[in-house]
Amino acid sequence: MLALGFTLIFGVLRRANLAYGPAIMFGAYAATWTSMNFQAGLLILAVVTIAAAVLAGAYVERLCFAPHRKGPAAAAMVASFALWMQFEELATLALPNHLYAFPALYEGGPLELGRFTVRIDALLILLATVVVCGLLWWILYRTRFGVAVRAVIDDPKAAGLAGIGVPRVFMLVFALASAIGGLAGFLIAGSQEQVTPMLGMWSTLKGMVAMMLGGLGSLPGAVAGGLALGLIEAHAGWFLGPQLRDFLVYLLLFVLLALRPPWMNTRSVS
Amino acid sequence: MDEYALGVLTNIGLFSFVALSAYLLLIAGELSFGQQAFFGVGAYAGGIATAMLGLTLPVAVVIAMLCGALAAALVGLPTLRLRGLYFAMTTLAAAEMFRILFELAHWQLDVEGEQVGPDGSQGFRGIRWMLESGVEPEGFVAIVWLLLALVLACFFVIERSKLGATIRALGEDPTLAGTVGIDVNRFKLGVVAASGALAALGGALFAHHNTYIEPRNFDIMLGVHSLAYALIGGLGTAFGPLLGVMLDIGVLESSRFLQGYRMIVFGGLVALLLVWRPRGILDERVVHWLRARFS
Amino acid sequence: MLSVRDLVTAYGKIEALKGVSLEVAPGSITCLLGPNGAGKTTLMMTIAGVLRPKRGSVRFLDEDLAGLAPDAIVKRGIALVPENRLGFPSMSVLENLQAGAYQRRDPIEEDIERIFRRFPPLKARSAQQAGTLSGGEQQMLAVGRALMSRPKLLLMDEPSLGLAPLVVEEIFRTVAELHRDGTTIFLVEQNAHMALKVAQHFFLMEQGRVSFSGDPGSLAEDEVIRRAYLGSSR
Repeated sequence: MLALGFTLIFGVLRRANLAYGPAIMFGAYAATWTSMNFQAGLLILAVVTIAAAVLAGAYVERLCFAPHRKGPAAAAMVASFALWMQFEELATLALPNHLYAFPALYEGGPLELGRFTVRIDALLILLATVVVCGLLWWILYRTRFGVAVRAVIDDPKAAGLAGIGVPRVFMLVFALASAIGGLAGFLIAGSQEQVTPMLGMWSTLKGMVAMMLGGLGSLPGAVAGGLALGLIEAHAGWFLGPQLRDFLVYLLLFVLLALRPPWMNTRSVS
Repeated sequence: MDEYALGVLTNIGLFSFVALSAYLLLIAGELSFGQQAFFGVGAYAGGIATAMLGLTLPVAVVIAMLCGALAAALVGLPTLRLRGLYFAMTTLAAAEMFRILFELAHWQLDVEGEQVGPDGSQGFRGIRWMLESGVEPEGFVAIVWLLLALVLACFFVIERSKLGATIRALGEDPTLAGTVGIDVNRFKLGVVAASGALAALGGALFAHHNTYIEPRNFDIMLGVHSLAYALIGGLGTAFGPLLGVMLDIGVLESSRFLQGYRMIVFGGLVALLLVWRPRGILDERVVHWLRARFS
Repeated sequence: MLSVRDLVTAYGKIEALKGVSLEVAPGSITCLLGPNGAGKTTLMMTIAGVLRPKRGSVRFLDEDLAGLAPDAIVKRGIALVPENRLGFPSMSVLENLQAGAYQRRDPIEEDIERIFRRFPPLKARSAQQAGTLSGGEQQMLAVGRALMSRPKLLLMDEPSLGLAPLVVEEIFRTVAELHRDGTTIFLVEQNAHMALKVAQHFFLMEQGRVSFSGDPGSLAEDEVIRRAYLGSSR
């Protein structure tokens, strides 16, 4: 899901949003604050996370991406990491502890299926991912808006000439990506049962690595990349421990970028 | 001068090195999120040289710079043909790999009865060359700024020379540079290695100033900050990154009022500034204008 | 219908349009000629809103459109068939047409049928990806897409570029038909030979300015122009 959101922005706006994770973290922190001060059910917390992430995303879009629409991609990316710095500090100022508890997605025990033990919250996350994918597919291939988005992905100039308001499409896609990211953030916080200031950078990195694993800019690739990354991390973490696991993932990213196998060159969203 | 001001001045000097190293890559046309790794390599190498191998600071600094250049070349070689976002991502990945290596590094020697050396995430304490050699804080500031001045002088000479023009040409249009006969790959590698050496220089000095370093010192935020310093200060002159560092550490850090909101203010400043001045405050146009005015 | 006055468009410091003035009469086919680099595409792009002019005005039905975004221009009834048949290669032919109708709120099935009747190859390939079409089919698709917005003024930038002569004739037959059906057409053509057959009025652009304005008769009479732009295929 993180990869989906990141890829949407990368594929449509052709820019990397380094404030993506931090905006999600803002959402998660907003939900944490809500749960600390109010009696809020999981649904409310999910809505708060998504809404706050979309709000934060709008701030990023207006300040970093809208002004640099016609300029070099680097300017937007650089501006986005400046906002990343802002979100990090804001998070530590608002909730200064290194760690905060977050309500669990599911309180009960795991499901026993023969030899396998399956965590319910993991199932919930998978389910949510399937729903999001389905929703995204429906939006992109069964609505007028989706035609506009795919047109902008193919050729923003031609899209404008066809009467599509490109800036508005950018803004809406950004909001959509932030919403998906927000949902992901809520699910992550709920399954980890905690939030930390590290969530920001972590989310961006995971989204980015998964996108690159799956073939830059391709939405199905993003999902595949996410699944692949999850599998790689789970196994590497089990056998090698957390640090070598992270090292391996970065090495994989580095090698993939350096070698750039042909399936990593997709630009269009298929 | 009071100790606090000395500290600020020293830090401005130290971080200028890593900002300049990001600047060098920027004018060669590449965005690097990884200069903090070479800062770290320099810090560890310099610390090992003095605290564990008993060498003097000048030797340690040279060793650190060599290590930095080597590390940078290691990262740069496989990624030579990458541009833009892809190159930036490899630098990020590489820098995190270095940071993890710092966290996994355990090597301690018995020096005069105690264990000295990098101890993973516990860090590397006991880099006491400065204290043992009787160098006062004022003396150290002088050393840092003397070296910085030397580096700036080098930049000025290079900027006015053919080398400088070549580097900037590389930054403007690598394809065009290639057609004019510039070996783009070899040049880029040279620039990457030089930037690594520069960051390592700062790192070695940093290690000796703090006497204690840990992997967390060299995380992504440092790289992001270095890049921001160069971009906000301006890409027209080597003074640009210096200006950026001064704005953050000098103005914001020192201001009692803004200190807690430093990153928020600085981040906002960078984003806003980029809208009007995408090449920083002291960008090429301003520098040209200044040069014309004062020559 | 369209009145361009002293239009100046620059790329950085370089002025591609140095003060262009011309008129397109309603219900006409007007053709813009000129050598490469004269600024014809720049003019089209400026009228269509892709480029912002530095100075000057583009008046269309009593409104100055200079500086508006491309989708606002489409909303006001101008559609551009761009040079090089820019399109949406990953989307199907049908989806390309739907994209062209993005601003329309009313049912578009009739328009799609009409375009399919005009360009039968498109109907045959309606589910095919636009990127796999031949040059001629892509040009038909580009024209069809522009027509989906029911423009009052159709701009065409070098519609015959890179196409086989038979296809070129097809395209110009379509241009004549559209004109008969009431669309005003303003087209750019480098090879004036075909344009002579359909256009009622000509402008010649050289180095960012309009250097000639006249009807086919006076155009064909001018020796210099004839040699330079009508070529040897008389």
